[in-house]
Amino acid sequence: MARKKPPPSAMRRLHRSFGAGAAIFVLFMVISGITINHSNGLGLEHRQVSQPFLLDWYGLGKPDKVLSFELGGDWLSFAGSQLYFNEKPVATITDGVGAVVSGDLLIAAGQDELLLLDHDGNLVERLPWAAIGATPIDAIGLDENTNVLVRSSDGLWSSDADLINWRQSEDGMESPRWSTAKTAGEALQKAINSAYRGEGLSLERVILDLHSGRIFGSIGVLVYDLLALALGFLSISGLVLWFRSRRNGKPKSRRGKGRTQ
Amino acid sequence: MSISRPKLFVLLLVTLSLPALVFPASVYETQPEFLSRAFSGSPPEPDILWLSGDRKSAVRQLLGHDYSALRLRYWCQQDRSAWVLEEIGKELPITVGIIVERNYIRNLRVLTYRENRGGEVATAAFTDQFNNAVLEENQRLDVPIDGISGATLSVQALTRLAAMALFLHTESECNDGA
Repeated sequence: MARKKPPPSAMRRLHRSFGAGAAIFVLFMVISGITINHSNGLGLEHRQVSQPFLLDWYGLGKPDKVLSFELGGDWLSFAGSQLYFNEKPVATITDGVGAVVSGDLLIAAGQDELLLLDHDGNLVERLPWAAIGATPIDAIGLDENTNVLVRSSDGLWSSDADLINWRQSEDGMESPRWSTAKTAGEALQKAINSAYRGEGLSLERVILDLHSGRIFGSIGVLVYDLLALALGFLSISGLVLWFRSRRNGKPKSRRGKGRTQ
Repeated sequence: MSISRPKLFVLLLVTLSLPALVFPASVYETQPEFLSRAFSGSPPEPDILWLSGDRKSAVRQLLGHDYSALRLRYWCQQDRSAWVLEEIGKELPITVGIIVERNYIRNLRVLTYRENRGGEVATAAFTDQFNNAVLEENQRLDVPIDGISGATLSVQALTRLAAMALFLHTESECNDGA
């Protein structure tokens, strides 16, 4: 009569469960890891992702709001945290407020900074507003001499012609023309939406985020950490089982072989 | 000493959550504070230096790429100049304030550091290495700058900015002791 096979130990049962559960994860990590290692050769950095669900997942859907300002035939537009010169993205800026043209410079105002551009859309200077005023910018405009004016809750500020020096003005002393947004043409709006969605996400970024779990946010990182701990447990439980089988004399496969003889 | 299971679970969760935290930018000194310190409480009006022509090429050679703006604001009093410059370390720009006097760096201070790692470059123990550095003919600093493990790109960014500030000082009004 064949001897009844003893039930597997708790360690062996855990080892099997963790092993089966981690197998898919390990295979995925191996494939994505090898792909990342050869990212340059595969040109993943330059391949753009265009699947709408992925762009939406990354928050790269259409911008909530596009604020456009016409400046002597050119347009400056704020979309998300990006500033566009016509349809070309030129710099990052947060909380766009307005834009004016003064002499050779286009000036885009965010709540916390001014960006100075030339008429080709090149960034001339980034001017942090904290270096001048204490409170965020509410509006930007021009006085009667086309000097730039900025309004914030701590008062009215005016600059010299080169936007180098700023002085605080008294309310009512100037006759400002404040910048106001206009509706850009449909073609420009479409071009900005397309640039906003399409140029921000490479295939390499997606695979890197899948590999690290960051594509699922902080929860994803946490889950990946737990899975990594499961792999660590598998290594330890594997070693423990191996030492146990050695301590018991013969490996289990040999014992099984002996029983059949 | 034994730790109860619930405490162990909470400890594990906190530890595993650490990599997911987002670190905000560290502001070590504001620009007005830096300028006030550079000029003993009464900073001068700013001047402008355009990065064009040979000057732009020279800056490109020092940085390895074009500077992110076409003109720079600086402050000059006698033969002392102060510069607020930005350079990307790994992914985000580091804002650095540099005081130059008679072609020597008098002080370099990280004003804002935005990366998650490598903030050690903002410590005085590191930035003091730049004190009294001058630019040699080969456009390198005459003093060796010790690196920081894990912050190599930030160290290189600060070293490039130090060289850039020394070069810009020679191009500024301050070089003549204006």
